[in-house]
Amino acid sequence: MSEWTKKGPLEWQEYTYKEVRVTACEKEFRGWVLTTDPVSANIVLVNFLDDGSLSVTGIMGQTVQSVETLGEGDWRTRERLTHLFSSGHC
Amino acid sequence: PGVPGAAEPLESREQQVRASLRERYLRSLLAMVGSQVSFTLHAGVQVTAHFGATDLDVANFYVSQLQTPIGVQAEALLRCSDIIAYTFRP
Repeated sequence: MSEWTKKGPLEWQEYTYKEVRVTACEKEFRGWVLTTDPVSANIVLVNFLDDGSLSVTGIMGQTVQSVETLGEGDWRTRERLTHLFSSGHC
Repeated sequence: PGVPGAAEPLESREQQVRASLRERYLRSLLAMVGSQVSFTLHAGVQVTAHFGATDLDVANFYVSQLQTPIGVQAEALLRCSDIIAYTFRP
């Protein structure tokens, strides 16, 4: 079991909306943290692409070796992340 | 709130945070239904497929049109223990 999966909800919450570098199984992923699933410890990262679209990456909690914070993010990024997938039509 | 000693119990705050992290995770999975998803598997294998569903403990990904190096599989169950990460464009 990795250190990441042993963290608690309050610790995972700390990373939300931050820009991070995740190392998992010797691979590196970068992006803004949308959430961490408290059941699987899977991390969801969002990347804003140049053409205005975005890509979403989920990294399996059990493969996570390290999570490093790169930036805090401004209110606009936070705003975009908050509203992503939450458009109340379900 | 904000008054020392009058704060809500840690357990209930943890539970609230847990629920909001989980809700955001489930919404991100819901947004992925029907999307083309690229999976990074162990042993350096990359496959793409249409996402269908996961079980609640996120142990399996049910997908269709799985494109593998040896051909297209109409339907498949990917075990999360074989996956490092997944990416899609919402």
